[in-house]
Amino acid sequence: MSAIKRIFGLLWALMGVGIVPLVIKQAMKEIAAKPSEENWIFWSIVIVVLMPIIAFSLITFGVFALKGEYDTLEDIQ
Amino acid sequence: MAQNVRNVSPTEEVTSTRRVIAASSVGTLIEWYDFYIFGSLAKIISEQFFPKDNPTAALLATLATFAAGFVIRPFGALFFGRLGDLIGRKYTFLVTLVIMGGSTFAIGLVPGYKTIGFFAPAIVFILRLLQGLALGGEYGGAATYVAEHSPAGKRGFWTSFIQTTATFGLFLSLGVILIVRQTLGVETFSDWGWRIPFILSAFLVAVSVFIRMRMSESPLFVKMKKEGKTSANPLAESFKEKDNLKMVLIALLGATAGQGVVWYTGQFYALSFLQNACNIEFVQSNLIISIALLLGTPFFILFGSLSDKIGRKYIMMAGMLIAVIAYRPIYTVMYNEANLKNKVEIVEKKEVKVKNTMKGADSLITTITTKAFTDGTTFKETVKAKFPVDPALKAALPKDKLKPETKKEVTLPQNLYYKMIGLVFIQVIFVTMVYGPIAAFLVEIFPTRIRYTSMSLPYHIGNGVFGGLVPLISTRLVEATRPGPGLPPADPLAGLWYPILIAGVSFVIGSLYISNKTNNLDVE
Repeated sequence: MSAIKRIFGLLWALMGVGIVPLVIKQAMKEIAAKPSEENWIFWSIVIVVLMPIIAFSLITFGVFALKGEYDTLEDIQ
Repeated sequence: MAQNVRNVSPTEEVTSTRRVIAASSVGTLIEWYDFYIFGSLAKIISEQFFPKDNPTAALLATLATFAAGFVIRPFGALFFGRLGDLIGRKYTFLVTLVIMGGSTFAIGLVPGYKTIGFFAPAIVFILRLLQGLALGGEYGGAATYVAEHSPAGKRGFWTSFIQTTATFGLFLSLGVILIVRQTLGVETFSDWGWRIPFILSAFLVAVSVFIRMRMSESPLFVKMKKEGKTSANPLAESFKEKDNLKMVLIALLGATAGQGVVWYTGQFYALSFLQNACNIEFVQSNLIISIALLLGTPFFILFGSLSDKIGRKYIMMAGMLIAVIAYRPIYTVMYNEANLKNKVEIVEKKEVKVKNTMKGADSLITTITTKAFTDGTTFKETVKAKFPVDPALKAALPKDKLKPETKKEVTLPQNLYYKMIGLVFIQVIFVTMVYGPIAAFLVEIFPTRIRYTSMSLPYHIGNGVFGGLVPLISTRLVEATRPGPGLPPADPLAGLWYPILIAGVSFVIGSLYISNKTNNLDVE
């Protein structure tokens, strides 16, 4: 089980890293296609609020999991 | 447990715990009520305070709707969570209640844009931020307060009463709005009657403050304070110390993020879907949600109680998994049952009424088309075209100003109405599975000295950010499937991919990393 937790840890961290360029690229593409106020507000909310939370939490969580911090969770609790 | 050291009889203890639960729940219920009436009356508030022809005011409208929901709530969690861990639970969640009640009451009194101009949206915006801030501090306090009074084997059961308050708050807000609207009539309600639900909050809060003032501080907090074990810096201890930070992250990613999207989908997205995608008539759609919520609410207590016996994790994860699998089939049935293309029209019952009235120098042509279908469904389409009588003025207006306003209303027959209630009820069950045990789960994974701070943040990011964004992102996903302006979306269910994805990831993380054990809340 610990090995699975660690392998998935790498996956979460990579997801956290990967989401940043993906979201920014999509935002630039959509705003360039239609630079409306609605588009600006939507992507501002996603980039300023949602993306940092997802990226930071997934990367940190993934690194913790990869290092085995959650291996003995049952004992910690 | 602190309960074990107190010298009270079992009967006294039960009575005391009941009072604790009642006092905490009523206050939290009122806070949710206050928060929801703004959302439920968003359209009217927008007309009163945020006129569309003023771009700054319109921008504030957008910010007011969203910012308080997801940006401010986590800040409230940090601010009041810290206070709660420093000075105590009781006084902190008393303050949040007063701020929330005061802001809500004040919104009901703010003069409209027509009277005080730009000050109107600015004041409402600030008051809405205060509402979000207060809500961010309230829930963690109430859940912690009840949990720290509860016996170890019944924590899921006792805290589940707090969990019912969000749904009851929504139910209460919808109920009050419907009653006031029906009593005063649509026009009077839109004119000034909408203020009543806001003003009513002052009375509700006064009662709740009176009850809460008479409650004592959490026994665990009192013991901790007496022993000098309170945290000097709860924020740093919660988020800078690795052992706590990793629990905050697991609480967010493995529980509250998934719970937040399931919660918002089952209650808010369902209502929005009924009204916008299915065009179900206003009162009927609100009744469908209200009845489903009412029927589903006891299940918060059932699953909270069950979590004491079989563990919090299994129930929460089962709720997320079933929701992920069942959302698309449920919404497909909802959409098909209301879709007029699947029904046979009784052509001879079709009626078209045209009314031409004058509104100042403008002519208003109202065309009402009503249709009946063999299964008992009725359809009403109201098209309002307003234009200047003077042909020169009419020709000078841009095309979009002359575009008629169209309102479609589908009223379902009794059998389909009940079916819709059933379909929403199933979603409320998912909500109760993920939400019922979560307060007990959150309070148990953090130590007493930083509990209020540590549990509040993941809860409000999960609910406020991940959950609160469901309407915005889901609408966007549906719009992306629209082949062109004015055309129906190719996939009206595309909005479900966001909650499905978040709940799916949360399920995998929660299943892998969360422990199913329940813990004691002793002071370390």
